Parts: sequence; structure tokens; C-alpha cells
Amino acid sequence: MNEHDRRNPGDRRPAPREVPEELVRTLARETSLGRRVRHLATGLAGGCGAALLTLLWATEPAPLPLRTRVAFAGLIAVGLAWAALACWTLTRRHPLYGADRVLAAGVALGAASATALGAVVLAAVRGTAALAVGTGVAGALAVTAAALLLGRARGRRRALLDRRDALRAESGVRD
Amino acid sequence: MAEPEPEKEDDALLVVRCQLGERQAFTGLVRAWHGPLWRYLRATTGGDGVADDLAQETWIGVLRGLPKLREPERFAPWLFTIARRALADHLRRGRAAPFGSVDLADAPGAPVDPGDFPGDVLDRLEVHAGLADLPPAEREVLVLFHLADLPTAGCADVLGVPAGTVKSRLFRARRMLRDILTERGHDR
Repeated sequence: MNEHDRRNPGDRRPAPREVPEELVRTLARETSLGRRVRHLATGLAGGCGAALLTLLWATEPAPLPLRTRVAFAGLIAVGLAWAALACWTLTRRHPLYGADRVLAAGVALGAASATALGAVVLAAVRGTAALAVGTGVAGALAVTAAALLLGRARGRRRALLDRRDALRAESGVRD
Repeated sequence: MAEPEPEKEDDALLVVRCQLGERQAFTGLVRAWHGPLWRYLRATTGGDGVADDLAQETWIGVLRGLPKLREPERFAPWLFTIARRALADHLRRGRAAPFGSVDLADAPGAPVDPGDFPGDVLDRLEVHAGLADLPPAEREVLVLFHLADLPTAGCADVLGVPAGTVKSRLFRARRMLRDILTERGHDR
């Protein structure tokens, strides 16, 4: 007995059309976790890469030639563009669901921590103490933001799990 | 007739599981609601192919908006609101005449439960034929209530009108449908 029959046991209407295979495939692509992970990885690589390139540029001991500066600026812009595109995709086109958000926030926290650590070391070795402190503060802010996102994602997932369990208890559905 | 009331808990449970990211729940949700959704789109557009396209568009919109749905119990009205928007976009693009005549060549011919319909058991084919001659507003409310199984409150949410308006529109639609079918010799 399919879902519709179960919904209307006395309904004499014909069974609804089967879900077309093409639609099933399209929806599987739309909900794909792998696709979301790829967008996340691209966005994090772009954002972290842009941050490190900016730091490298800022810690150059001598002014760079014009062509090198243009190349740096171009690479930073590309990195930021990838990060922005990933943000847009993961919020509008392929939004993250409860468990996905926890995973994504965890990965983002790891990436932010690693980037912040690398940036502080880089600033300490190549730049001034003030720049190292500034980089440390910026890194700490990024890590804090990622940690807050992770906390929110966990809270949301917890709330959804509680809701699911309550609904299961109401309807008598077992795991 | 008692108002059709979908199994709220089951739908809400499926929605919450989807919001959690349980991929198999998506399939369950689509299987549960694709039929009513398709019938609504089929009856309002008149073509199987158009209904298939719009159903796919609607489902993609649903999957993209699902994480933000705050009231899983109200999934059905939300689903049909998205479908209605997709339908409006489709009509705006001019790909079809609005609420054009229904192509009956492949309409299902099994009988439909009469419910509040006048007379005896109505043939689904006949109902479809009658629907085609109804004005858009009356046709839509009839389809949402009788073919998509939405309760009055759900129809009101989808159509953006008060429940009282839905009831009066339903009353008018049934009367018009009865007149149409009577004219065609279906008064049994």
C-alpha cells in the first residue's frame, strides 16, 4: 500500500502517478551531500587561500613590481569569489540540512584554526610583532565565528532530533 | 463530508527528518505528495508534460526551502504555495494559455468519491471535463480541496484568502460543476 492509499483508505480514485525516475534522479542530485561537501571545500580553499595570500603580500619586505601586485590582487579576488559563490550556493541553491550544517561548521572550524595558526606563524616570521598580534586577533575572530556557527548548528540539530523523537513517539513509529 | 485531514504527524515527521538531512526521508516525502501535487498541476494546466515539468520545479523549490520551514505540520499548504508560484511563473512566461481546456485523451477514467459533489458517484473523466469549464478561481479551489486533499485552512493558506472565502468559493464551484455536468447529461 503506498503513502496515498494509506492517507485515504476509502478513496476510490486511481493511485497517483508513480514518481518519474528522472525526477528521482534530479532530486537525488539536488540533495546530494557530496555536492555540498565539494562546494564547502571550494569555498574554504578560496577564503583561506585569499587570507594567506593577503598576508604574504602584506609581509613582503620590499614593494612588489606592478605585475606581481596585479597577480596577487587577481588571485585574492578569485579566492574571495570562490568563497562568495560557495556561500551563495550553500545558502540558496543547495542549502545545508541539519546534519550537513554540523559537518560543514566542523570542517570550517578546522580550516579556520589551521589558517589562523599558519597566518600567525607567517606574520611572526616575515612581519613585525604588531602584524603578528593583528593577525592573531583576526584569526581568533575567525575561529570564534566558526565555533559559534558550529554551536548553532549543533543546537539546531539537537532541536530537530528532539522534534523527530517526539513525533515518532506520537505516531508510534519506531527507529 | 468530513474535511480530509492528511496524517499530519507522518508528514511532519518526514519533514523534520528531511530537515535533519536524512536522505531517505526525501524519497518518502516525494512519494507521499507527488500524486496530489501532480493532480493539482495537471488539472490547472491541462497537460501531463507541463504538470511533470512544474512538479519537478516545485520539488526543487521545496528542497531548497525546506531547511527554513519552521512549521513542519504546515508542509502541505507550503508545498502547494510553491506549486502555485511555479504555475504563475509558467503562465507569466506565456508557455501555456492560463487554465486552458483540459486534454482528456489520457485523463484517468476511474470513478471519484463524490464527497460533497452532487448526485451519485462521478467519473473522474467527467469531473475533469467539468473542471475545464470552470473559472480559474473556482477550479483551483476545487482541485486543492478534492484532488489534493487539502483541508479548508490549507486551501486558505495556499490561495491567500480567508477560510470563509474558501468555503464560499467551494460552494460556488460545486454548484457550477453540478450545473455543467447536468447540462452534459450526467445528472444521475
